[in-house]
Amino acid sequence: MKPLVSDSPHIRGKRTTRGIMLDVLIALLPATVVGCIYFGGAAVASIAISIAAAVVSEVVFRLIKREKIKDILAKFDLTSVVTGLLLALTLPPQAPWYVPLLSSVFAVVVVKMLFGGTGKNIVNPAITGRVFAFIAFQSVMVSGWIAPSIGAISPVAATGASGAVSTGATELTSMLGGNELSVSLLDLFLGTGVAGSIGETCKLALLIGGVYLVVRRVIKWEYPVIYIVVTGLVASAIGKDIGLFLPSILSGGLFLGAIFMATDYVTSPHTRAANWIYMALLGVVTAALRAATKIEVVSFAILLMNFFVPLFNAYLRPRVFGAPSFAAKLKSKLAAAREKRSAAGKEDAQ
Amino acid sequence: MKIKTKFFSRGVHIDDKKSLSSGSPIRELSAPPAVEIALSQHIGKAAVPVVAVGDVVDRGQLIAEADGAVSANVHASISGKVVAIEKRPLPRGGSCDCVVIEGDGSDRVRTLPPLGELTRESVIGRIREAGIVGMGGAGFPTAVKLSPRTPVDTLIVNGAECEPYLTCDYRLMIEKTDELVRGIRLLALALGVERIIVAIEKNKPDAIAKFDAVQGMAVAELRKRYPMGSEKHLIYACTGRKVAPGKLPADVGVVVQNVATAFAVYEAVELGMPLTSRVVTVSGEAIQVPANLRARIGTSFRTLLDECGGESDDASVYIDGGPMMGATLLSTDYSTRKTDSGILVLTPRQASISAPTACIHCGRCAEVCPMHLLPMDIDFYTLAEDYAAARDRGGALNCIECGSCAYVCPANRALVQSIQMCKKKLREVKS
Repeated sequence: MKPLVSDSPHIRGKRTTRGIMLDVLIALLPATVVGCIYFGGAAVASIAISIAAAVVSEVVFRLIKREKIKDILAKFDLTSVVTGLLLALTLPPQAPWYVPLLSSVFAVVVVKMLFGGTGKNIVNPAITGRVFAFIAFQSVMVSGWIAPSIGAISPVAATGASGAVSTGATELTSMLGGNELSVSLLDLFLGTGVAGSIGETCKLALLIGGVYLVVRRVIKWEYPVIYIVVTGLVASAIGKDIGLFLPSILSGGLFLGAIFMATDYVTSPHTRAANWIYMALLGVVTAALRAATKIEVVSFAILLMNFFVPLFNAYLRPRVFGAPSFAAKLKSKLAAAREKRSAAGKEDAQ
Repeated sequence: MKIKTKFFSRGVHIDDKKSLSSGSPIRELSAPPAVEIALSQHIGKAAVPVVAVGDVVDRGQLIAEADGAVSANVHASISGKVVAIEKRPLPRGGSCDCVVIEGDGSDRVRTLPPLGELTRESVIGRIREAGIVGMGGAGFPTAVKLSPRTPVDTLIVNGAECEPYLTCDYRLMIEKTDELVRGIRLLALALGVERIIVAIEKNKPDAIAKFDAVQGMAVAELRKRYPMGSEKHLIYACTGRKVAPGKLPADVGVVVQNVATAFAVYEAVELGMPLTSRVVTVSGEAIQVPANLRARIGTSFRTLLDECGGESDDASVYIDGGPMMGATLLSTDYSTRKTDSGILVLTPRQASISAPTACIHCGRCAEVCPMHLLPMDIDFYTLAEDYAAARDRGGALNCIECGSCAYVCPANRALVQSIQMCKKKLREVKS
């Protein structure tokens, strides 16, 4: 065999982009399955359409760019599958077929491929796809919510008791509107009897996926925790009631957004410390926007913060190993100034 | 005596693969029929030949003289006749003048005269005379390193050997402990320091035990982490002192020497033998019988591989040095230099040969960078040919090229090569 040239290091870790995306898909599996059970055939169709549209539009885009089919297959890194699935999980189950289709095409083609493909997008494709749907198909996105097939285990009010009935709003929007919760916190955690997007209602399923991602070292545990906790704290502060902490973190799409979308590598800062600040700010923005708009804004908050990521990367850079700290630099500067002054003083005395 | 060590939080954990060759005792190879001795196997100017084609030389005879302060003498490693002095390619690229000696089979030795009184000056002088350079890989002339500009209080002996596969330092430490201890004491004498720390990674417990029993030296039992053997990180782990960017270890009062260098010092001072041989680890999954060979400088790589039973059929990547920082070889027609600690042959399964994909900004490279740099930014700006931004935003000039970033990169990007390119371009602009 002829000797091959390779770049140092000649041995590498086992991680690949495709492997990481596969981990994300596995982590999304519990939420996907629960979503399909809760919301039935409509949810299954939405997910299937969204993923298919994402994959097909990526392949077609590359074909138009005259890439060879062999290369497209070799470079297929599952990112479009993740985008398609994530997007579908953020859509309401009642959305007609063209909503997942068009949003998914928009997410992949406009948000990702036009900017240069994997790793080059400025904002998160799935988030932006959802925002696109929200603006383009407002009527189906904000009303006509359907409750899941499994009703609330412990309904607080009699209205939330039954199964697949049409409800006017999600628990979050009614809560933000100043109404009492119609289900218990346990129901909010399990998504039973709670209306909402396909993948966002069952926090338990999302949490299982989150734990998987942490164990597989795809994401750092602090990131979603900081985002969720800060959101809860700020919401409680705004409402001046710490009792709002659990309802505000358990309702809406916060878990889905915090675990799977805010942690997206491409659209979050590079370093760990910068991510802590980024996640905390996301929490503040989310809680503040929720209070101001009375609607679910996790996707808008993440989209907004995505634009600030280049700033984080430009200004929050680690200190080189061995370089003096900011405090040490200041200290030596002060000492130099003091020396200069005393030297000047001596000269004057002479 | 063991001392407390500090731990740097970055770097990577790699399967060290040392068991392939760690059980194989150092095997002394007899003089090869011919050697090709490079005149530039150290940092600094190439040595100037003092022999001519047709001259008969002995082993240990000076064949090329150091050119200036930062350079090193070169000696014949076998006895025989000089048959050529010509440019030959070097394993890491480029070429330099090489003295080719055909052996006469007698292996006559010409040693340096006994050193009489051991003083700072006499020991440093002998080290310079014997052409000793840093044998851990850098090849910086040892005599220069032993004459620092700032006062020094600590000598650290680098036995970390953090590169996977390599076991030549380990074998020296457990087989030649007494010789090493004498070499280390000579280095301490040359530096005028009392405090000696022998730094060894935890995966070499028998080496730690051997040095633990030695009086007058402390042993730093290091956690296993790549790149523990990096000078700056070794100093931090052993003493808690941090070498600032652009500064030298001597600026924090420390000089680091490799164990193989200490052994060469012992031979030069006590036996009068200039640096004419070294221990080379020949290993890798494609090597039939991995081994640690004590070979003459200038022995061809082919000879070393054949001594280990050659390669298996699926041999695909040949490496000069360790798998993390070494360079691939396109042929085995090179010869051993003072700095060659290993020759590895890997199979396609171990070697990383897949093409790079797009950066997904996962931040893993920054997370593992022992220098706290941003490799993804350096890569990005270098490819955009904005080298100033790569320097200022990514910190390119502080890179030690350990390869930790590329090791963890899921997109398999050539980060080290980007950084090397960036450094090269920045040097060009400067000069």
